[in-house]
Amino acid sequence: MRNEIELEGIIEDYLNGKLNEEEAKAFEQLRLNDPTVDHKVVAHKVFLESLNDYAAISDLKSKMNQVHGQIDVDTLSRQLGPHPSFIVNIWRKNKAAIAVAASFILLTVVTLYSIQQTTQQSGSVELVSRELAKIKNSQSNLIRKINSTNVATPNLKPANFGGTGFALTSNGYILTNLHVVADADSVYVQDSRGNSFKAVVKRKDSQYDLAILKIEDKSFSSLPSLPYRLKQNGIGMSESVYTLGFPKDDAVYGQGYVSSKTGYNGDTTQYQVSIPVNPGNSGGPLLDDDGNIIGVISAKQNQVDGATFAVKSKYIQEALNSIPNDSLGRKVAFSKRSSLQGLSKHKQVNKIKDYVFMIKVYK
Amino acid sequence: MSNKISSSVPTDREVVLGILNNSEEALNKLYTGYFPMILQFILNNNGDEDDAKDVYQEGIIVLYNKIKSGNFELSSKLKTYIYSVCRRIWLKKLSQQSKKSGDVTDFDDLISVEEDVEQHEEKDRQFDKMQSALLHLGEPCKTIIQDFYINNLSMQDICEKFGYTNTDNAKTQKYKCLQRLKKLFFQS
Repeated sequence: MRNEIELEGIIEDYLNGKLNEEEAKAFEQLRLNDPTVDHKVVAHKVFLESLNDYAAISDLKSKMNQVHGQIDVDTLSRQLGPHPSFIVNIWRKNKAAIAVAASFILLTVVTLYSIQQTTQQSGSVELVSRELAKIKNSQSNLIRKINSTNVATPNLKPANFGGTGFALTSNGYILTNLHVVADADSVYVQDSRGNSFKAVVKRKDSQYDLAILKIEDKSFSSLPSLPYRLKQNGIGMSESVYTLGFPKDDAVYGQGYVSSKTGYNGDTTQYQVSIPVNPGNSGGPLLDDDGNIIGVISAKQNQVDGATFAVKSKYIQEALNSIPNDSLGRKVAFSKRSSLQGLSKHKQVNKIKDYVFMIKVYK
Repeated sequence: MSNKISSSVPTDREVVLGILNNSEEALNKLYTGYFPMILQFILNNNGDEDDAKDVYQEGIIVLYNKIKSGNFELSSKLKTYIYSVCRRIWLKKLSQQSKKSGDVTDFDDLISVEEDVEQHEEKDRQFDKMQSALLHLGEPCKTIIQDFYINNLSMQDICEKFGYTNTDNAKTQKYKCLQRLKKLFFQS
């Protein structure tokens, strides 16, 4: 018993490194010679380590409990715990799923929207608001800036803008686009022979972008009766049409076909016509093969090839009808039958060109 | 998560150095700094405040042992480490209680801490064994052993504290107690 106590004392000192070198050597020899002693050493070592670990962890735990006591756990749990509301919990737990669903829906909407976009003809213009669209529209209106050196009448100041117009009556009423003469200080019209006449704007119709001018010039003498007539009913797709206009100082002939019965953005007051037009064609008459006026060239679309828009003749008639008869002097009457019917294109154009005027606008 | 954890958190370096130096202040900061994170995790995954306390303290112990053992490298943020350890411990507890554990709500990044947690479990078993052995040891043996081995009192102090006539008697008593404790510890 006594020996064992001492043995254990030595083992402890040995494990704690308290033995001096000689003693340690002697003890290690003893361990080698006596397996029981060795076993005791190993067991005691394991035991002491466990005890130390135990001590360390107990110490740590008691310290942590102390700290824990200082934390206001209740308040924290209220802040951090699951929300009492069912819906909030659902949201928190299924955030990922909801996010996926939301992005899917968003993607679908975007895809559908872009499909819709591409199936409509209006391209990027359609994205902008109506007001903006109007601005864009006017940008593509076919007013021509006249180069000052090209003005045929040297006695006049050079005109700033040009367009086309055509005679509504033989006594000097001329139809053109409103945007051609909008904000004009003065307006002159020039016939195919190069004679220039002063004109005044008699009537503005902003709804259909139409304007009616009256030649008020002493040198103007009445025209022979009009060769063409205003076609009352509509015209179908694919019918071939032609126009005369003044994108330059001489009349230019353009030929094409009606490509759609609606105009820009599905505007039912217009046709879409595939016809080459340039700035200066605005206000020009659009005629079918029989020489009936079916519309007035008004605009073309910027990004799209061959999309020219023409105001339908029906609305020309409406614009005419809305003008009080007395202001027109006498009723505008187109002949019932177009005298151009049956004539070849060449002959038609020859007859018409005297009734198509270049509009020169000073701003 | 909408609830941001706002407690001030010590820097990782501060904590590691503090733990190596047995700084109580560092422990305080560490403990209060990350407790809300674990509380939030446990509360939102079928646990209560007591579970959070237990799991969190175990997590801190794992971290302590890891740092003290000397092979701790700051390969991740301390926060991530603590969170991953506590998460692992809680998942094990949940599966032991056969509560649902497949789908937990996470609040932070994760790193793999499998090994550390397993080591900790081994140590924890040792701890429990020692605890129950000491419990069964009874007084005054338990106090003598704790005073001598844990509180590092000298034989002389113990002799005076327990009123033994001489240190030999105290040594004999300590020896007997230790033998019983060893028996309890190794047998259990």
